[in-house]
Amino acid sequence: MSLWLCLRFQQLPLQALTRRDRGEQPASAVLEKQRVLQACDAALALGVKPGMGTATVRALGDDICLLEREPAREQQCLQQLCCWAYSITPTLYSYREDCLLLEVGGCLSLFKGLDRLLAQICSDLSSRGYNYCSGLAETAKAAWLLSHREHSHTETGDPRLPLAEQLAPLPLNLLDDFPQQVASLAKAGLRQFGDILPLSHRALARRCGREFVHFLQQTLGMAHDHRPEFQPPPTFSDDYWFGYEVKANQELLPAVQLLLQSLCQFLRNTQLQSQKIEWQLHSINRKIISLEVYCSLPHANWKEWYQLTSLKVEQLQLDMAIEGVGLYCQQLSAGNSRTRDLFSSAEQREPLHSLLDRLQTRLGLQSVEKIACRDEHLPEFASYSSSDGGGGGTASGDTASGGATTNTTGLHGQRPFWLMPEPQALSASSHRLYWNGRLTLVEGPERIEDNWWLDAVSRDYYVARDTAGYQYWVFRDRLRNHWFIQGVFA
Amino acid sequence: MNTAIDQVIQRNDTWLGRNTATVQRSLATGYRKLDEQLYGNGWPLGNTVELLSDGNGLGAMGLFLPAMEQLSQQGRWQAFIAPPYTPYAPLLEARGIDVQQVLLVHPQSRQDLLWSIEQALRSSTCSAVFAWLGAAEFRYSELRKLQLAAAGSDVFSVLFRARQAAHNHAPAALRLEMKEYRRVHILKQRGGNQYLDVNLGVEDDIPGQPQLWELPAYPAAESRQASAFSA
Repeated sequence: MSLWLCLRFQQLPLQALTRRDRGEQPASAVLEKQRVLQACDAALALGVKPGMGTATVRALGDDICLLEREPAREQQCLQQLCCWAYSITPTLYSYREDCLLLEVGGCLSLFKGLDRLLAQICSDLSSRGYNYCSGLAETAKAAWLLSHREHSHTETGDPRLPLAEQLAPLPLNLLDDFPQQVASLAKAGLRQFGDILPLSHRALARRCGREFVHFLQQTLGMAHDHRPEFQPPPTFSDDYWFGYEVKANQELLPAVQLLLQSLCQFLRNTQLQSQKIEWQLHSINRKIISLEVYCSLPHANWKEWYQLTSLKVEQLQLDMAIEGVGLYCQQLSAGNSRTRDLFSSAEQREPLHSLLDRLQTRLGLQSVEKIACRDEHLPEFASYSSSDGGGGGTASGDTASGGATTNTTGLHGQRPFWLMPEPQALSASSHRLYWNGRLTLVEGPERIEDNWWLDAVSRDYYVARDTAGYQYWVFRDRLRNHWFIQGVFA
Repeated sequence: MNTAIDQVIQRNDTWLGRNTATVQRSLATGYRKLDEQLYGNGWPLGNTVELLSDGNGLGAMGLFLPAMEQLSQQGRWQAFIAPPYTPYAPLLEARGIDVQQVLLVHPQSRQDLLWSIEQALRSSTCSAVFAWLGAAEFRYSELRKLQLAAAGSDVFSVLFRARQAAHNHAPAALRLEMKEYRRVHILKQRGGNQYLDVNLGVEDDIPGQPQLWELPAYPAAESRQASAFSA
C-alpha cells in the first residue's frame, strides 16, 4: 500500500524571505500586488490581516517590514526541500506552489516506523526554519487535502480510517482549482466532502464536469495520478542563515558541520563524490567571502571535509560579521568506493590522502611535495619534486615500481642523499675550493654529459670533504670551467 | 583498579620501576652493532627519537636508510618535514625505497612546523616521520606533545636537532648524537645503555649498493685536487 505524506509550507512566501533572520524577527508581511498576502505572527498581533493595502499596514505600525513576494525564491526553497526530502524517499515531487508530496510507504521500515519518520522530518524542518502542515493518506491528493485539517501538524490523523471518512469534514472550498463547481455545489447546499463523496460520480460529472470528478477519483485512489518524479539536480547548493551576527570563526563551525552533513547526505543519495567544495560566507554588508576546499581524491565523507574546512576557517580573518553560510559543490563524479587492505599489519586508521589534504589545506598546495625519478643523466633532472595535488594516495599505489629490482639504471658512482634545488657556485682560488670552509676532493672524477643537442653540459663530478669531515657532491663545469656544489652526503 | 590508572599503566611510555612485560615495538636498524645496544634491539616505534648533529642533521640520514627500506613495505607515507634539501630520488630507489611514499612538507612558520609534525604523527598514514627542527629552542612541553602524538600509533619518528640541544632536557625515548659519519653516540636511552659510542662497521653494508655516506679516505687527495684543476 502506498502511503503519501504531504508537507504543505503554508508560510512559504513569508519564510522564503524571512527564514534567514531566525533570531529576533521584526514584524513582517509579504505583499503581492500591493496587498498583504501573508504576515508573520508578530504582524498579525499588530492587526495586520491578509488582503490589507500597504497604506493600512503602514498606519498600523511604522516598523512592520513590508516585503515583496519573490516566487523565484520560493521555488528555490522548494527545490532545496526536494533535495532534502530525496534522502527520505526517491518518490516525491513538488505540488502546487508550496507543497511536497512524498511517498513514504516504501521507506517505513528503513526509518523504523512512521512515528520516527515524522519526528525526524519535524526536527529537520524546524532546524531549517520552516513551518509546515502535514497530511497522510493513501493517495497524493488526499494527503494534500488532509494537510488542511486544523492542527494537522500535531495529529496526523489515523490513516487506518477509511479515506472517505477522513475527508468528510473538509470543506469543499479547498478545491480552489474548481471555483465554479465549488460555488454551484455550495448553492445546492453541498459544502463538505462528506456531502459529495457518496454521490454517483456519473451524476457529479454531468453537473460539475469530468475534470472535477477525475480529481475526486484520483483523491480516492480510483484513478491513476501519475506525475514526473523529482530528479536531484546535477550540482549541490545549500545555505544556512544564523539569524544573528557571527564574529568569531569558531562560531561558523556548527553551520559548516550541518551543511556538510547535508552535502554528504546528498552525495550518498545520488551516489556521487566530490573533490572540491566552495563556501560562501555572507557578511552583513552583503559582501561574499569565498573559500575553496580541495581534496586529492573524491569522497563523500563529511568528517574529512569538516576537518579541511575548519583548517581554512581557522586561518580566516573575519573583518566583519557573518550572517549566513552557503555551500556549493559543482564538480561531482560518480562514486568510486575504495576498499581498505584488511590484512595490512600497519595500524592505519584513515586513507592516505587525508593527511596530504590536511597539510595542503593549512600550508598551501606548494608546501607539500612528492618526489619521483626520471630517466635522465643530469642529476637535477633525474629527481624531481612536484606539488600537484593530483594522484594523492599513490603511496600504496604500485609499490612494485619503486622496488630495487626494477631499477634498471643502477647507480655506479657515489650519489648523495640530499640534492640542492640548484647547483651553487663554489669559490675557488689558487687550486682550493671553499664552501663554508676549505674543501678537499676525495673521489672522482665521474663524467656526466648530456643535452648536447640543446644546451651542451659536460661535468666532472667529485666527492669533496670539508674540514669538519662532511662530504659534498661537487662538479666542475668543463665547458664554463667553474665549480659548483650540488649535493650533500648524509 | 581504577580504569584511569589502568590506562596510564598500559601506556608504553609510563615508567613502572621494574622490567615488565610491556614490549616496546621496535624496528631493526640494519646495523648489528647498533641493534645490540638499543633497548628492544631496534629503533623504538610509537615514540620519538632525537638525533642531534651539526648542519641540520646532514650527517645522519644514512643511519635511517635501512629502516626506510623496511618501512617502504608498508605502503604508507614517509614524511620529511622541513627537510634542508630535496632527497635524491634515484638514490632512494636504488636502496629499494618507494619514492612515491616520500612526502616533503615545507612549513613556513614554527607553529606550522609543530602542527605538521603532530598531524603526520597522529594521522596513522605515515610509517616514518623525519622532522628537522633546526637550531631553534623548543620547550619540553612542545616536544612532549609530539611524543604523545607518536605514542598513539606505530610510527617511526625522528626529530633532527642541533647539537646544542644536548644540554637541554627532552622527552624522547632515544637521543643520539652524531659528530661524524658512522659513529653514533647514545646520549639517552630509556631502559637501555647510555653515554656510549657505537661504531657502525662496514660489515653491515650491502655489497654492490653505494653506502653514500662514507668514503674511504684517499691519501692522494691533494694530488687528485691538483689534477682536477689542471684538467
